[in-house]
Amino acid sequence: MSIRVLNPNAEVLNKSAALHMTINAAKGLQDVLKSNLGPKGTIKMLVGGAGDIKLTKDGNTLLKEMQIQNPTAIMIARTAVAQDDSSGDGTTSTVLFIGELMKQSERCIDEGTHPRFLVDGFEIAKRATLEFLEKFKTPVVIGDTPDKEILKMVARTTLRTKLYEVLADQLTDIIVNAVLCIRKPEEAIDLFMVEIMHMRHKFDVDTRLVEGLVLDHGSRHPDMKRRAENCYILTCNVSLEYDKSEINAGFFYSNAEQREKMVAAERRQVDQRVMKIIELKEKVCSGTDKNFVVINQKGIDPPSLDLLARAGIIALRRAKRRNMERLVLACGGEAVNSVDDLTEDCLGWAGLVYEHVLGEEKYTFVEQVKNPLSCTILIKGPNDHTIAQIKDAVRDGLRSVKNTIEDEAVVLGAGAFEVAARKHLLDNVKRTAKGRAQLGVEAFADALLVIPKTLAENSGLDTQDVIVSLQNEHDQGTVAGLNHHTGDPIDPQMEGIFDNYSVKRQIINSGPVIASQLLLVDEVIRAGRNMRKPA
Amino acid sequence: MREIVTIQVGDFANYIGSHFWNFQDELLGLAEDDTADPIFKNNCMDMDVLYRTGLSHQGAYTYCPRLISIGSQGSLGTLSSSGSLYGDSSSSDASDTLTWKGAVTKLAEKPHEKNLFLKSLSEEGEDDPNIEDKDRVQCLERDVKFWSDFSKVHFHSKSLYELNGTWTDFQNFDNFGVGKEVLSGGFHMEELNDRLRFFVEECDHVQGIQCMVDDSGGFSGVASEFLENIADDYTNIPVLLYSVRDTFSYTDATNQRKLIARSLHDAVSLSKLSTYSSLIVPVGLPSLGGLAPSLCVRDEKNFHSSAVYASAIHSISAPFRFKPAGPISSTTYAAGSLDIGEIIHILAGQRQNMVAILDVSMPAPSLSVSDKANPGGILNSFHALGTEIGDDSEDLYMDESLIFNGALYSGADRASVSQVKDSICNVYDKGLRPKPRPSHLSISLTPIPIPLPFPSIFPTSTSRRGEILADQPLVGPPKGSLEVESVPVMTRLRSSIAIKPFIESRYNNLLRHGMLRGAKGADLLRDWGFGKDEVDDMGEYLSKMLRIFNPSSEMTSDSD
Repeated sequence: MSIRVLNPNAEVLNKSAALHMTINAAKGLQDVLKSNLGPKGTIKMLVGGAGDIKLTKDGNTLLKEMQIQNPTAIMIARTAVAQDDSSGDGTTSTVLFIGELMKQSERCIDEGTHPRFLVDGFEIAKRATLEFLEKFKTPVVIGDTPDKEILKMVARTTLRTKLYEVLADQLTDIIVNAVLCIRKPEEAIDLFMVEIMHMRHKFDVDTRLVEGLVLDHGSRHPDMKRRAENCYILTCNVSLEYDKSEINAGFFYSNAEQREKMVAAERRQVDQRVMKIIELKEKVCSGTDKNFVVINQKGIDPPSLDLLARAGIIALRRAKRRNMERLVLACGGEAVNSVDDLTEDCLGWAGLVYEHVLGEEKYTFVEQVKNPLSCTILIKGPNDHTIAQIKDAVRDGLRSVKNTIEDEAVVLGAGAFEVAARKHLLDNVKRTAKGRAQLGVEAFADALLVIPKTLAENSGLDTQDVIVSLQNEHDQGTVAGLNHHTGDPIDPQMEGIFDNYSVKRQIINSGPVIASQLLLVDEVIRAGRNMRKPA
Repeated sequence: MREIVTIQVGDFANYIGSHFWNFQDELLGLAEDDTADPIFKNNCMDMDVLYRTGLSHQGAYTYCPRLISIGSQGSLGTLSSSGSLYGDSSSSDASDTLTWKGAVTKLAEKPHEKNLFLKSLSEEGEDDPNIEDKDRVQCLERDVKFWSDFSKVHFHSKSLYELNGTWTDFQNFDNFGVGKEVLSGGFHMEELNDRLRFFVEECDHVQGIQCMVDDSGGFSGVASEFLENIADDYTNIPVLLYSVRDTFSYTDATNQRKLIARSLHDAVSLSKLSTYSSLIVPVGLPSLGGLAPSLCVRDEKNFHSSAVYASAIHSISAPFRFKPAGPISSTTYAAGSLDIGEIIHILAGQRQNMVAILDVSMPAPSLSVSDKANPGGILNSFHALGTEIGDDSEDLYMDESLIFNGALYSGADRASVSQVKDSICNVYDKGLRPKPRPSHLSISLTPIPIPLPFPSIFPTSTSRRGEILADQPLVGPPKGSLEVESVPVMTRLRSSIAIKPFIESRYNNLLRHGMLRGAKGADLLRDWGFGKDEVDDMGEYLSKMLRIFNPSSEMTSDSD
């Protein structure tokens, strides 16, 4: 209690109170997220004090919106969110698993088991489960032309837990095609090369894949074409606006005339840069029906726009930094930082460039490109919260496809893995553990069942019936998952229900670590100390 | 036209911003009001510098601030984050969910109730004859919970950004580290960059970014991450940064740990924010009692103190948007147009100092009165709005820029541009003050209009036009927006050796608590995500900011 002496404001909870506090927090968080899980889960509509709406079925989004205060809950939530950051999914499962581990532990502790034994058991069980996962996973041969069907199945499994079936199935194709589009052999997949753009417009099933790029801005000159075919694309990062050099150079004008001269000289430099671009345009386009489009990361001021417009060039300014890279991948050519050595080789190509205006928002479509290595998923939705939710789902879907390609493996879903792993732990692993650590292994094994149990519960089925019949199947040696319509065992392989290997692996890895940390808490001291990142 | 993009980060910055935009809104309203003082009709200010014209989805034209405001989740009060102009067809009816056919749970927060003032803005309260403006003013004096409670401006749907996922409650969002961490995921940053790009892309020629940052807590980290990105993306756009603090941020720390954390935060914050901006102006006093008797501000109300700071910042920004000087307008209504780049250049001076002091005189005394009673006294009416300010009477390299809005000559008569000029030049000519070179003077005849939701902070003796009447009793209830129509305000940005103690104390704290061997705060800095090298860099940066005030090193500082 020395902390009291040091800080009279500190509040100290003793061991058993501390343990119950953490267990309750873990269970509380579990209760909140439980109903999210699976294709029959409940979507949550959050309405703020000013009427702002957020729609989510994603554990990750929900955790971030909840403004959690309880330090234990924050610790669990951080772990779960970190899970999402690294593998793109599994937030809800992580929270459920940790909650269930704590619940199972509580029972043992109430019966007199020291948390230390449980923690030892968790460690044994965790290692065994990870080994089991290696054996249980379904390898996927990726090679040069990956099996599109299996990628689709994984994406569909993820998407159907976030969006209703028709929409999920439509997005499945889009997402798989998008990832395959940007995939370069021998290189890690950079999902940033898939641009996700949205338009508040019409209904959500209009979402589509654009092979090429959609930019969220348009040209800023009334005389520039709104639609052009056969376009050379110049991607550049060159200032085409007049900057006052005095700010940077610390130059003082001694009189107005000198100032005028400086301004004129500065202007001339900008004009020269513009002229170089126009020269190139004349060289490659004159006498043909080809067009020329400049997409610049820096600014283009009205005099420069004027010059470009008069030369028949379409010019866009202040493009996203990342779009410089995407444009080159989509259209070819290279992004130039100076107009000094412009050649035809710097230019990319697009069959069609056109502008679409919605209110004050302009969109420029760069389509019909050759060999695209970057593409855009264009989401349309009637309002912001619908768009936001689809966007979240698309991100998760993209991650699941990327994970599959990188893992070169998937795991049978619908609860099949959990039931199988539990059986393995109880049949083969438990007896290898010493003494009371067996209790920890058992608790871990039972906690795994939280996934099929919750799936059943959310589908309105009888949890016990479902678990019993699933276990029976597994006892007979068949791998079975849960049919969420009927509650009968199904073969997930036949139904095409697959989860990501890396997501599962991480859940099994991080869940017990956090649970163990929480179980070994001896004292909770509240002294205004902020809980920092979990180790 | 030279556009300005405004960025507000943190709650108190948004309080100031709320007042700031109320002034703009009032100016726009008065320019169209035939019954208003004609001085507002010809204010020669180009509001397009700060505002943008847009088109809503319904095809209606909109005119909104070119603004990005970042606040914590739930800090918007009754204001919807997507604004009210770009009507969303969303309904909070759970059955309208288009993306999910299964069950929907609706979790609704209790709606915030609009106060009398906000009700009068929307139609609901307008037809109630029993509620007068007096009641509305009183309700604001009684209770302001959110900055939006007294805002009368419509914001663009991309302007208001709520930061979620901070993993901590408001009290603990109090240091640079937590703020930095929130943005580390990249998602917020991408969204913020996109929003900023939206406003910058449509500008033909941006003159600069004006940024207010509540730098007393985590928002300082948020701002510095954002500004770092801005510096990368828009290399040539100058950033004028006001680091603002409310009076509460000066409450004594309860224990040594907190004290160290806070002093390290202050040091890191200054070092980081100044790295990514062109000029930094610390604003915020522990108490505004020093502004008496010309103002009576209640320190415990952010609603009050932010109003004073907003007036000063508004006044400073006036010369950024004078309409291009025609031969007539320049002499009659305003003089001394300036853009953000120029003011930064003037204040940097020979020393390349980039921390300036903001002084304000509000309401500014009438010229004739101060001329007679106390020659040169007009410049003695200034109060500094920052802390830890030293003496600069001996500083030969001082640079300053002075802005006078709506000077009165005597009584309720407005002074002309030349009268203001003469009066101020007089002070220098008589040698009453060492004249800083090159100093800049901007004069606008338009005073600061006092909008309805402005707090009652004027003493009883203030007249309608903001003159302090000598023959009025000194004691009495403070006057507010119903009694005072406009006030003359004079502000000054000063770049001098007086800022040295401010930088010095931060540098010493960083050295003592973070850099020396066995320093108590070294772990804390590591917790905030700073490696040793980075801490050393910050220390070096601060010491460089200090060295410029050291005459002996003047020669060496020129070399780099």
